Amino acid sequence: MECITLALAKGRTAKGAIAILKRAGFHFADFHEKSRKLVFYDTKKQIKLIFVKAVDVPTYVDKGAADIGIAGKDNIMEAQVDLYELLDLKLGKCKFAVAGLPDQKIDHTTVLTVASKYPNVAEHYFEQKGITVDTIKLNGSVELAPLIGMADVIVDIVETGNTINENGLTIIEDMEPISTRLIVNKASFATKTKEIQQIIKKLESVLE
Amino acid sequence: MQTYIFDKTNDTDIAFYQIRERLITLLRSRFTTYGYKQIQTPTFEPYDLYTTVNGTIKLDEMIKVIDNSGKVLVMRPDVTIPITQQIASKYKHLSKEIRYFYVTDVFRQTPDESNNKERTQAGIEYFGNNSPEADAEVLSLAVHLLKDLHLTNFTLEIGHAGFTKELISELALSDQDLKQFKQLIQAKNTNGIKLFLADLSIDPKLRYAIENIPLLYGEADDVIKRAKEIAYNDSMVNKLQNLEEVCTVIQAYGCKQHIVIDLGLINHMDYYSDIIFQGFTENVGKPILMGGRYDKLATQFNASIPAIGFACDIEALLDSTKNHTKSYQPPIDVDIYYETDEQEYGLTIANELREQNYRVLTFPIPEANKHESAQCTLYLTRNNSTLYQQNKSWSFTDIEKLNQILQEVKERI
Repeated sequence: MECITLALAKGRTAKGAIAILKRAGFHFADFHEKSRKLVFYDTKKQIKLIFVKAVDVPTYVDKGAADIGIAGKDNIMEAQVDLYELLDLKLGKCKFAVAGLPDQKIDHTTVLTVASKYPNVAEHYFEQKGITVDTIKLNGSVELAPLIGMADVIVDIVETGNTINENGLTIIEDMEPISTRLIVNKASFATKTKEIQQIIKKLESVLE
Repeated sequence: MQTYIFDKTNDTDIAFYQIRERLITLLRSRFTTYGYKQIQTPTFEPYDLYTTVNGTIKLDEMIKVIDNSGKVLVMRPDVTIPITQQIASKYKHLSKEIRYFYVTDVFRQTPDESNNKERTQAGIEYFGNNSPEADAEVLSLAVHLLKDLHLTNFTLEIGHAGFTKELISELALSDQDLKQFKQLIQAKNTNGIKLFLADLSIDPKLRYAIENIPLLYGEADDVIKRAKEIAYNDSMVNKLQNLEEVCTVIQAYGCKQHIVIDLGLINHMDYYSDIIFQGFTENVGKPILMGGRYDKLATQFNASIPAIGFACDIEALLDSTKNHTKSYQPPIDVDIYYETDEQEYGLTIANELREQNYRVLTFPIPEANKHESAQCTLYLTRNNSTLYQQNKSWSFTDIEKLNQILQEVKERI
């Protein structure tokens, strides 16, 4: 059997994903949270696990550097890559939402300025609604943008809504639910079908 | 001085270019063995040609230029469309078969990060035959090509544009929803598909059929059998029948182990009407080859001509062969150093050897150290003519003798 390379997002969903993999029979003995190692093999050497930054997971899989990846739907959507998305691991559930000051309206009359860590997602969303927007790419503290007048609204992931509320913003529209997904490179799927389907089947059986 | 950044295709690495040329020669001779003849389409084409053809190349992706009469032209964004248009303008119905191949550059500005505007495509177009035998022959040619490249692990995924389109069209979606839904199918996102369909009130049989599209992947017999169970009407059954016939002929070609059926395959080119396919190999994330049958394209030019074709992306093929292409072995080469008095003699020898396809450089003796050494070196002085190769040397008196020695040397290298 050929070894399959799996790119896993570092951070909050990693632990959950490792637990699911373990239940499916892929045990990463030398993994522990504080480890600085970036490459791990499961005990049966079926999976080579590489830890990468969450936003980079779709890129690794798209380029074929990893055969499969586990990443949040938010990053998959933002990357706009042509991949298979075969499983929902149902971890890290949250949603994309449009938020702004309470009196902010979203309509066709003006050009809306949108700040987001996810400019592609934001642009695509408003394009579908037929609303012209100016997007500003930010890397953090997005909630600040409407407060200081740099943007009218923000597009961001929302879990509890606390950060939004504490900064005096409200959710204007819910966009799309987000959770952790399993993505697969199309060439890998075509050339290592058996190995990949086996991994998916095992994961599926523990997810039900 | 300003430094300029070039497109990556402008590669001046000699070794790389040699490998690339050899690859193209290989493709060319393989196309020829299947009876294809090489053609070329114009670099500049009317913009209107592409605005009038539905569902093909995104207008934003084409590179436009304006000629001195103010007419808008595009730089060849596609090969299939102009060839089809030319053939359609000559024949309304085709009574004979036409087989063309091409190796040419196409120009598109895609939003991906590589920003490569120029890509080389090598492909074939086969007009005037829509039998399963024709489809299978084209597919086996594709397999044959990939075998020529000594790729060990490659797969051709075959889908059926007609089958998938027809099944999806039963949903009667708006253009925008259709686009989104196609993305879900392409991603084999079963959960997403279920969620999408949950809001629609449709026949449970149709719901079941569509939810199953992503699972229709695998060995031909098995997939076609399962697909027949969900086929919604006679026309879809016929399409599967056609696919089955193609697969039977492919088996006769001995290519079965390289083929899988993927009925969730969708090509962004809307003109494909029947079988579509793409080739994948290990370690290259993108398809290295794409094609399909496009019987309806000619109708857009008021003709009725069945056709099938595919194209390989030369850059992607090079990526795939990168690891197992041996470094290029050039033909034997010779440096000739001559004393000023021996110039005529030296240049005569040089011409004689070039006639025999040796690669020859000539230098007056004072220049001797400027060049990196060749496989063989000739020193011509007034008293002596000597050939050096590695640590050995041979004296010679005339060209005939030199030829003999070079023959022996050649056999040893």
